[in-house]
Amino acid sequence: MFAHHRLRRGWVKCLAGVAALALAGSLAAAPAHAETTEAADDSSVLRIATDGFIDSFNPFTSFYLLPTNTFRYMYENLVANDAKDGSITEGLATEWNTDSDGKVWTYKIRPDMKWSDGEPLTANDVAWTYTQMMEKEEMAVANGSLVENFDKVEATDDSTVVITLKEPQANNPGQEIPVVPEHVWSKVDKPGEFKNDKDTVGSGPFQLESYEANKSVTLKANPNFWRGKPKLDEIQYRYYTNSDAQVQAIRSGEVDFITGLTPEQFTAIKGADGVELNDGHGRRFNGISINSGMADAKGKEFGTGAEALGDKKVRQAIRAGIDVETLRKQVMQDYAQPATSFIPAVYSTWALPTDDPVVSGFDVDQAKKLLDEAGWKEGSDGIREKDGKKLELRFLTDADAPIEQNTAKFLEPWMKDIGIKLENESSDVDTVSERTTKGDYDMYFSGWSVNPDPDYQMSINTCGQRPDADGNGGTTQDGYCNKDYDKLYQQQHVELDGAKRAELVKQALAINYEDTPSVMLWYPNQLEAYRSDKFTNFTKQPSDGGAIANQVGYWGYASVESASAEDASGEGGGLGAGGWIGIGVAAIVVIVGGAFFLTRRKKSDDRE
Amino acid sequence: MSTPTHDHPQPTDPENPETASAPESGGPSSGGSAAGGPSSGASGGPASIGPADMDEPPKGGSFLGYLLRKLGGAAVSMILVVVLGFFAFRMLPGDPVLKIAKERPMSPAQIAELRSQYGLDKPVIVQFWDYLVGILTGDLGESYVYRKSVAALIGEYIGPTLLLTATAAVIAIALGLWLGQLSAWRRNSLFDKLASSTSLVFWSVPTFWLGLILLMIFGGTLQWLPTGGMVTPGLEPWSFAAVIDVIRHLILPVVSLVAVVYAQFLMVMRASLLEEMNEDYLTTARAKGLTEDEVRRRHAVPNALLPTVTVVFLHIGGLIAGAVTVEAVFSWPGLGKLTFEAIRGPDLPLLQGTFVVFSAIIIVMNLAADLVYRWLDPRIRRA
Repeated sequence: MFAHHRLRRGWVKCLAGVAALALAGSLAAAPAHAETTEAADDSSVLRIATDGFIDSFNPFTSFYLLPTNTFRYMYENLVANDAKDGSITEGLATEWNTDSDGKVWTYKIRPDMKWSDGEPLTANDVAWTYTQMMEKEEMAVANGSLVENFDKVEATDDSTVVITLKEPQANNPGQEIPVVPEHVWSKVDKPGEFKNDKDTVGSGPFQLESYEANKSVTLKANPNFWRGKPKLDEIQYRYYTNSDAQVQAIRSGEVDFITGLTPEQFTAIKGADGVELNDGHGRRFNGISINSGMADAKGKEFGTGAEALGDKKVRQAIRAGIDVETLRKQVMQDYAQPATSFIPAVYSTWALPTDDPVVSGFDVDQAKKLLDEAGWKEGSDGIREKDGKKLELRFLTDADAPIEQNTAKFLEPWMKDIGIKLENESSDVDTVSERTTKGDYDMYFSGWSVNPDPDYQMSINTCGQRPDADGNGGTTQDGYCNKDYDKLYQQQHVELDGAKRAELVKQALAINYEDTPSVMLWYPNQLEAYRSDKFTNFTKQPSDGGAIANQVGYWGYASVESASAEDASGEGGGLGAGGWIGIGVAAIVVIVGGAFFLTRRKKSDDRE
Repeated sequence: MSTPTHDHPQPTDPENPETASAPESGGPSSGGSAAGGPSSGASGGPASIGPADMDEPPKGGSFLGYLLRKLGGAAVSMILVVVLGFFAFRMLPGDPVLKIAKERPMSPAQIAELRSQYGLDKPVIVQFWDYLVGILTGDLGESYVYRKSVAALIGEYIGPTLLLTATAAVIAIALGLWLGQLSAWRRNSLFDKLASSTSLVFWSVPTFWLGLILLMIFGGTLQWLPTGGMVTPGLEPWSFAAVIDVIRHLILPVVSLVAVVYAQFLMVMRASLLEEMNEDYLTTARAKGLTEDEVRRRHAVPNALLPTVTVVFLHIGGLIAGAVTVEAVFSWPGLGKLTFEAIRGPDLPLLQGTFVVFSAIIIVMNLAADLVYRWLDPRIRRA
C-alpha cells in the first residue's frame, strides 16, 4: 500500500515537471519565431519551385528545359511570339519583310536599345550571334538546327539585319534564337564552355544574378528592358526534388509559384489559403503511337511491329474502338482538351478543327466493320483471326506513369469488345525509350511539346526524317511516311501567304489523321498554382486560358506585381523554429522523465 | 536483408547503387546472431565466436596477417565495384543522348556532336580503358549534366550528406543503444514491448513515405518547419541566422532517417545485453550489494557493447547510402540527391562516380568494423 502511494506521487511529480518544461519551451518559442522569419525575402521576389537540370546558362550550348526557359527571360529574340496566340510579334526588330520567294529576310532593329549593362544594342550583335552559331560547331549544340538553313547573316547598318537563306522558308527565321551582346561574348576565351552563370548581360526583362547548383537561381529585373523595367525586383527558383514537397511548399508559403502538378495534387490543393490555381491549356499533346511498320529514311525496315498494323483499316478501327472522351474525363479528370492532331488547339491558326470532315469519333460498330473489311474475322473466343493468326497487340507503357497505366486499364476491355487482344507491357521509362527507338512495339503512349510554328513538328512526320534502328539520322514522331503529306509539308514550308499556308497545314494534318499513325488522345492542361495573397497579374499564353510557365516568350512573370502593399499573410500561423524546439524539448523530457521514473521504480523495489 | 535502410527511391530500378554495393549485414531481424561477431561482413569476418569456443583464441595468429587478409579482401571488393560500376550502367536500357534529345528540336548533326562530346562514339572497350585510367589517376570523368568534373561535384556535395548522416547516426545510435539496454534489462516488461515494437514499426515503414508524411504535417499543414532544401537562399553563410536556418532544415530529414534506422541499434544492443544477463559475474556483482542499476551500468552494458560497436560500424556505411531517399524527399543538396538526379539523366559518369564512392565508404566501414572488433576484444588481442 505504502509503495503504491509513493509510486503515485512519483507519477504526479514527473508529469508536472514535463508540463512545466513544455510550457517554458513554448513560451521561449514566440520571440525565437519572430527572429527567424525569412529575413531575406521582401514582397517583390517571386519564388518558383523547380527541379530542373541546369548544365550552364550558356544559350549556345544548354538545351535543358529550365535554362531554355530562363533564356527567354534573359535574351530578346529578333522576333517574339506574342502572349495572345503565339503569333509573331516585335522583338528586337520592329518590322520585317521578305523577298517574293522567302529567301532573303530583312529586319529593322529598334533604335536606341541598350543591353542591361548600358551598352548600345545594334544589328551587329544580331549578326555576330547568328554567325557564331553558323560557323562554330560548339556554338551550335543547343540551337544549331535553327540556323541550318542560313546561308549568311549581315548587318548592313546599325539598324538593319539581312538573313539570306539556302532554301526559302515561310517560317520566320528570327524566332527562338537568343541574341547575345558581342561586346561581352567576343571577349570570352572559349565561348562554348562559358558557364554564363553570374551577373549576365542581356536584353530581356530579367538577368541572371547568381546560381547555386541544386539550391537556387536568382534573376534580377533589367532596368533597360525595352518594354520597361518589370515590376518585380527578382525571380528566384528554388530547388525541390519532389513534386509533393513543392505542393507543401506552396501551402506553407515558402514558394509563390509551382507548375506541372498532377490532377490529384491539383485537386488536393484546391481551397488552400491564399493559393490560386491555374488550369492552363497547354502546348503539348498525348497520343497512342501505332507501329505501322518502322523503316529508316531509305525505306529499310526494322522492328517487331505487328503486321496487322500495316493495314490502315486496322489502325482506324483501333481509333474507332477507343472512347477518348471517357478516357479524357476519367484518366485526366477533365484536365485536358480534346485533341485532333499533333498541333495543339492553343495554336488555333494551324490546328485541325474538331469539325473537319475527316475527324471521326468513338464508334464500336464502325470499328468492327473496318476489321471485317480488313479480313479479320471473329474467332471462337471473341478474338479476331486472319490466316490462322490471332489479332494480338502489345501496348508499351511507363510503369511509373499513372496516366499511362490507367489508360491501359481502359483500353484492354475496349479492344476486347472489337475483337483485339491488347496486352499492357509496362516497363521503366528507359526501356520504353530504347524499345521505341528500335521499333520493338505495337503501340505506345507518346507525347510532345509543340512550338508556335508547326514546321518542326510537321517535319518530323516526313519520310526523310526517319532515323534508323540505332536512332541515328533524324527524329520521327510515329515513324510516319506518306508522299502526299510530304508534298503538302514542302508547300507550306515555302508558302509566304499566312492564310494559304494555314490551309496547306490543315490539309497535311487531315491526311495524317486519315492514315492514323497514332490516335490522338488529348492536349493535357498545365496545372499550376500561385500565392494570390502575394502576387497578381500573371500573363497566360495563350492569354485566354493558357499556361503561365513554359511559355514561348517572357510574358508569364514579366507582368507580375505584388498583390498589396501590406504583405503580412505569407508567414501565417504555426509555431516556427522555437515552437518546434519547445515541443522537441518537451518530447525529450517525456522520454527521459519516463525512463527515469521507470528506473526509480525498479530501484525502490530493490530497496524495499 | 541487404541494406539497413530497406527502401530506395525506385525499388524496381536495377541501377540503384546501394542495392548492388551494400554488403550483407545484420539488421534487426538477425540482431541476435550478429551479436556473435562481425561474421556477416562482405569480406568475410572471423568465424563466429560462440559461447562454446569462447576461451579459445582464434587461429591464424598475428595482427599483421589479420590486417593483410582484411585489406586484401577489401581491395578485391573495390576492384569488383570499379568494374561493375562501369558495365552495370552501360547495360541499362536507353541511350543517354537520345533521352536528352527527346522532344527537343535537335538535328542529326547536333545529336552526333553530343555523342562525341560525351565520348559515347568510341568503342565500349576504349571507354572502359579511359575510365580505368581515370579512376587510377583520381579523375572520375565529366558529368553530362553539370559539365563539371565528377570528383569536384562529389567533393562539393559530400559535405551536406555528412552533416545529415552524421547527425542522424549520432542520434540513432545513442537512442537505439540506450533504449536497447533498458529493454533488455526489463525484458518482456511493458516498456520493452513498447520500445521494441515501436522501433520495429518505424523500421518497417518506407523512408520516403514517412518523410512525405512528416513533410505534410510539419511543413505544409502546421508550417513549423521548412519543406525542403538545406538553407534559405540569400542568408549570409555562417551567420547566426543561417546556422539556425540550417538546423531548422535539418530536423525533418534527421527525424525520418533516425526513425527508420534506430531499431537496428536497439535490437543489437538488446540481444547482446540479454546474452550477458545470464553470466555469473553479474550474480557476483549483485552479491557485492550493488543495486540493479549499478550492475547494469558498470558490469553488464560495457561487456554487451563489444559486439554492438562492430555492428554499429557496419551500419554507418549503410546509413550514408540510405540518405539517397531522404535527400530526394527533402531536396537536401547532398550526394544522395546527386545520385537521384544522375539516374534521372541518365548521367553515366556521375552515376559511376557516386556508385564507386558509396561503395568505397561501405567497404572502408566494413574494414574498420573488422579492425575495431579485433582491437576491442581483449580475448582476441591476447592471442
